[in-house]
Order: sequence, then C-alpha cells, then structure tokens
Amino acid sequence: MQQIKGFFRKKTFVFPIILFILVILTNFALQYTNLGPEKFEKRFMFLLDNNIRGFLPLILLAIAQAIVLINGSIDLSIGNLMGLVAAFLVTQYALDDSIARFLQVFIVAIGIGVLAGAFNGIFVSLVRIPPFITTYATSFVFSGIAMWILPRPGGNMPEVITTFYRTTLPLGLPMGIWIILSTMLLWLVFRNTRFGAHMYAVGGNEKASFASGVSVIRHRMLVHMIAGLIAAFAALALVLVTGSSDPRIGGTMTLDSVVAVVLGGTPMIGGIGGVVGPIFGVMTLGFVRNIVGFANVDTWVQPLVDALIILVALASPSFIRLILKQVRS
Amino acid sequence: MQNLTSRDIVKHFAGVTALSSGCLTVNSGEVVALMGANGSGKSTLCKIITGVVAPDEGQLLLNNTPISFSTPVEALKSGIAAVYQELSLVPSLTISQNIWLTREPMNGIFIKYRSLNQRTQELVDLFADTVRPSFTPETLVNELPPDEQQIVEILKAVSTNPRIMILDEATSSLDSRQVDRLFSLIGEWKRQDKAIIFISHRMSEVFRIADRIFVLRNGRTVGDFEAKKVKERDLISLMVEDAKEHLVKADATVTRQFNETVLKVTNLHTSRLQGIDFDVKKGELLGIAGLQGQGQSDVLHSVFGSIKFSGKIEIDGIENKFRHTSQAMAKDIALVPGDRAKEGLLMRLSVLENIMLPSWMKYGFPLKTGKAKNDAVITANSLKIVMADLNAPVSSLSGGNAQKVVIGKWLQRKPRILLLNDPTKGVDVGTKNEFYDLLKELCKAGTSILFYSSDDEELVGLCDRVLVMRDGKIQKELPRTELTLSSLITASVTSGEEFTHAAD
Repeated sequence: MQQIKGFFRKKTFVFPIILFILVILTNFALQYTNLGPEKFEKRFMFLLDNNIRGFLPLILLAIAQAIVLINGSIDLSIGNLMGLVAAFLVTQYALDDSIARFLQVFIVAIGIGVLAGAFNGIFVSLVRIPPFITTYATSFVFSGIAMWILPRPGGNMPEVITTFYRTTLPLGLPMGIWIILSTMLLWLVFRNTRFGAHMYAVGGNEKASFASGVSVIRHRMLVHMIAGLIAAFAALALVLVTGSSDPRIGGTMTLDSVVAVVLGGTPMIGGIGGVVGPIFGVMTLGFVRNIVGFANVDTWVQPLVDALIILVALASPSFIRLILKQVRS
Repeated sequence: MQNLTSRDIVKHFAGVTALSSGCLTVNSGEVVALMGANGSGKSTLCKIITGVVAPDEGQLLLNNTPISFSTPVEALKSGIAAVYQELSLVPSLTISQNIWLTREPMNGIFIKYRSLNQRTQELVDLFADTVRPSFTPETLVNELPPDEQQIVEILKAVSTNPRIMILDEATSSLDSRQVDRLFSLIGEWKRQDKAIIFISHRMSEVFRIADRIFVLRNGRTVGDFEAKKVKERDLISLMVEDAKEHLVKADATVTRQFNETVLKVTNLHTSRLQGIDFDVKKGELLGIAGLQGQGQSDVLHSVFGSIKFSGKIEIDGIENKFRHTSQAMAKDIALVPGDRAKEGLLMRLSVLENIMLPSWMKYGFPLKTGKAKNDAVITANSLKIVMADLNAPVSSLSGGNAQKVVIGKWLQRKPRILLLNDPTKGVDVGTKNEFYDLLKELCKAGTSILFYSSDDEELVGLCDRVLVMRDGKIQKELPRTELTLSSLITASVTSGEEFTHAAD
C-alpha cells in the first residue's frame, strides 16, 4: 500500500493518463459513426490527427506553464505572449512568401518570445514583484503590442508551409504526435540536467536552495525565458493550423494552461510535478469539450457543462484522499 | 593546523542587541562547546561565522587572517560548514538530491544519478542501524520524521568535507542512539584534525564531548573554560545573570492556596508531546518553562483545540474533545498567540475591529455597534492602550501596544482560562510591568492562567508554580517555594538523572 501511494506521488502523470484514456474512449465511441466508413484504426487515427493539431498550441503553453509553476513562479502572460508572436508571424509575408523568408521570420519570432520572457523574468526575480502581479500586468503589454501589429483578425502564412504541416504523416503518424513525443523526450533530457534538477529545488524551497548555492535569481530568470521560447513555438503551432491570427486569441488560453497543468497532476505549490501530465491534461480538457459539443447540449449551456466536468476532474484526487482518510480513521 | 577566532563581534537586529561581544576560538582537533541561556546570542554568533548574517562590528580570523563571508557558500569554500537549527532542506527533493544540491556528479550535461546515490549511501551508512530502513538515498525528505531530517542536515554538512564544522542544536531532535553515533563520528573528525563547534542546551552532552566551553550571556562571552576543569554548577551560575535588575516584583514568596481544579490534562500526546499531565486550579498562575521548542506551544494549542491531540483534557471535571477553537471559546477559554502579527492581529484593520473580532456574537443581530464601541473603549482604557483613536489601524501601534490589543480582544470575552503563548516577546519594559499587574489582578479575580514564556525571569517572578518542559515531556515541576532562576535553568538544561546530581 505504502509503495502504491509512493508510486502515485512520484509519478504524478499516472492519474492524468488514466483520465485521458477514459475521455478519449468516450469521445471515440460518441463520434464513431461520424469518422467515415473506414477501418477501426483509421477512424481512431483520424480522430487523433484532427484534434491533436488543434490542441498543440495549448499543449505547448501548458508545458511552458508547468515549468514555470514547478519553479515556484507563475506566468499569466503566456497566452497573450503567444498572441503577440502569432500576430507578428502572420504579418510578414506581403511580397515574399518563400521558405527562406519564413525561416527568417521564425527566428525573429523566437527572439521576441525569449525577450518577452526575459522581460517577465527581470521583474519577477530581480525586482522581486510577485509573479502573479507582474505577469498579469505584462499580459496587457503583450496584447497591446499584438493589437498594434494586427488590429483585426487576419494575416497570412506561406501556403507551402501550412500544407506541409497539415498533410505530412511521417511513419503514418500525424505531425502533432511526433511533436508531442519529441517534447517528451526533450523533457526527459532536460530534467536530468543540473538546471532541470535545480528547477525543482528552487520551487521546493527557495531559501534552502539559495543557502546551498543555487543562484535563484538567474535560475528563475532563465526559466521565464524558456517559457517565452516555448510560447513562440506555440504561436507557430497556432498559425500553421489557422493560416491567420486574431490578436485576442491568447487571452483565454492562459488560464486554460494553468487548468491543464493542474489537471495533469502538477500542483501550483512548486517543486513537484512534470510536463508529461500537463500534456495529457490539455488533451483531456480538449476531448471533454469535444464530448460536450457532441452530446447535443445546448450551445449556451456548453461552457457550464465542460466547466463542471473539469471541476470534478480537478477535485477528484483530493476527494479520493478525503474519503480514504475518513475510512481509515 | 586550522584555527578560527572571533573577536568582539557585535550584531544588532532592529534596535535589539543580539551580540555585544561575541568571542570564540577553536583549533583543529578540538571540540568547542558554546553555552548560554535562551537568547544569549549563540545562534547569531554561528550565523556570523558561516556568513548567514553579517556582523556590525568585530573581527573574524581564520588562521590569523581576517575573513568575512557574505553568503554561506563562501564560508563553505573556506571549509566551514554548519548544521543549522532551522532545517534548510528542500522537502520535495530526495535525500541524495538535497545533500549534493549544486555539487551533483555530472556526466556531460547529465546528472549521474547512480553515483549520486552511491555517494549518498556511503554517507547514510554512517548512521546505519540508528535510522529506519526506509532511510535510503531516494527517499523524499518530506516523508522523513524530524530526527531523520536532522540527520540529512548533518550528512549534508559532512558531504562538503569541511575543516571546521558547526553543530547548532543538532542533537535536539535526535534520539540517544543517534546522538551516540554522532558523538563517535565527532571523535573520528577530531582525529582527522577537524575543528568542531558544538552548541547544545544539554549539559550532559556538552561534558561528554567538549574540550573547551565558552559561555555566552546577553550577547557577551563571559567564560572560557577547559571542560575537565569546570563544574556544572559554575557554568549555570555564569549563564544566569545576577547583576540584572529584577523587573518583576516577586511579592509571591507566600505560597497561595488553591482548591478548585479548573483544567486537568492527562496523558496528552501530539506529534511533539509525549505524555503530559498537569492541572490548573482556579485563580492559579501556572507557568510553562523550558528551552524554546520543547513542545510548550503544543500544550496550549491542544487545550485550545487548534491542533490534533490524543489524551484527556477535562474542564471542570468534564472531558472535552475540542475539534475547533470555537468550542474552546464557548467554554470561556482564550489563547493569546505567540506571533502577534501572524496569529493575533489583523494588522491593517482598526483597533476597534481587532478588539471586537472574537466577541461579535455577543452583540446580536442586528449588531449593537454603539454598545460594542463602548465596551471596546472600556477595554482599551483599562489596558491603557496608546493610540490615536479606536479607528487607527493596528499597524500604527508600537509592539507593546499591539500586544495589548491582542490581550484586550480576549479579555473582552472574560475568559475563565487564559492561555498565554510567550506574550511579552518584543514588548517594552513599561508594558511588561503593566502586563504583570494585569495578570495578578486576573488571578485574584479567579481566572486560571497557563503562561508559557521564553523569559525565565518573569516566570520566576510571577508564577505560583512552573512546569519545566523538555523533549515534549514535563521535566520538573517547581512549586513556588523551590522556584528560583537557577533552579529553573538547571531543570531546563539538565536531564532527569543529572538534576539530582547538580542540585545536591
């Protein structure tokens, strides 16, 4: 029993994966007949392919958010930062829409992401303004700039790139899946480095880490920069699907990213968790919304229903713990 | 040959002098013990040596060259490692991650977890058989009991292979087998020519291990002895200051008689307490003494129902199982908490609101605010709270006056049992004296008071009886007739067996 408990405490992603499997199977069953008359696996793949591409921006944002939360900070500007980078990405191809031009633009976009992350990091770690306040404030800075670059929904992306992203299936699996798998692999590498290990230390007890010689300020600064970098990739994932952008698109995704991280078993207290759980957290969130969409629920009630389901999912680990405690005493 | 000397170190914290002349010398192959009563500056001196705090004046010499550290890491680089009193571990990391934090063995960019755990295992083996089998390199620190967390802390200092090692109250949460193991390790370190500074309140431990003993009193080094040539009794009398004027007027040389038992506690256990029995009579002022953190707060919080406990707490002969503080309040019990800013006051709200907070239900629905205000004025005047007016925020008051507000808010409820958790900490002398008069009055009026204080003098001056606590147990009960400052400190710093020996 003790061992089982220890396992669940250390592997925070196990519960989210179980939840995810449950949700995706429900969705598959509900949508089965809509997925075309083909074979079983093909239908399943179709469902995955269709959805994962849509989920990918939020998945990347949730990864960024998870890293920041593990480090004991929070980033409430991450959605708007993605919106800003997306606005930049779709407004650069007036004359030249070659692949070379795209690569140039994307490198600049990454620079914007990292710079914006550093901007957050300076206030959070150096000036020591609480991250909740800092990043809430900078979120308006980012959305303001986004609206200045792209005043109304629109813009465009090079056709070649978007088509490539939508239609390529390396080894028969959609691009989205490959991207998720490679981020998981990257995470595995990252968390076994000294930087990755210290991320947990700083989030777990800032003072003790400092006393042991971890340069907390530099560390937290870098973590916010990494979050900005990932947000730039999220922006790319977004505009590759839509081919255009909306300056307001990021706003709601910030809180979604926090919800997905918590749903993925990484708590907001810092020092524990990982990013694999949050990845499944996002997909669970997405499929729940799909299910509600397909369940013939009135459009107006949909947000209410999916919010309630998410609330139950979020609360269930604590509920189970409470019940177990009552049973034992 | 290593040699560390501190000369006349001075340190003030927000106007309070923690150290006025901290002197200490330690040579390699030597164990130096640092002794002193509560608040005598032992920990501050250690923190200065290890660079946790910077001294205001004075000199620190390492091998006769002046040094100053601005961070603990710098001290570590010079070979000075410390095991602190407050734990400095990251609870969500494993034992091995904690011990080697920032010094992980690397393979390129990756941490070599296997050799990390191997190295940790070697350290863990130092304490083999004195820890539970679950104490392995990969156990999370937050799953460990306090004694094993303390051992991790010790191992962390050992892992740096220091030349000078400071153990600040490192034995306070260890059991006897673990202490024995630590002492045999200290013996080994001595042979390896390490220098050790050992701080403990336990007289027996100091005499077992120390070669030299330094005594601190009120931030000043007042004695430097060879351990073999000094007697326990002399050390204690040196730790107790005789010259200091007695603020408390000890008019209670007469032993008062009490009949009616109001509160009776039997076999009280919490995570800190290991079986406490006592009773409080009507109108009695019962003191709780002992070194800091021996479980005194737990006693008060158990009676008030704010922490979980097992055992029996009877009020007027009826057993009570409080699960919430409101139940204790309904029985006219009040607790004046230790940390007034955190637990006692709403700093930004007015004096009026703070005084009225626990009593609003008395004023019915709809609220009789006028009557409430009048009552608050009466309380404030009787306590002589110095303030602009009742609507001034508590944060604008001085420490002493803020503490009066905390007391006032509970007096407003006219408690029969008053629990005081170190109420005079950081309070000025004038207010203290007013407060002592108030306690005497309350007792005369029949209020039973349970009074924990870290200031031994006020306990001696005020109480009808004092319970001296140690390691979650009552070490000694001192009735009025036996209550003196030296008997109290003797009981605090010596264990049971020694006590008889030291007092003869």
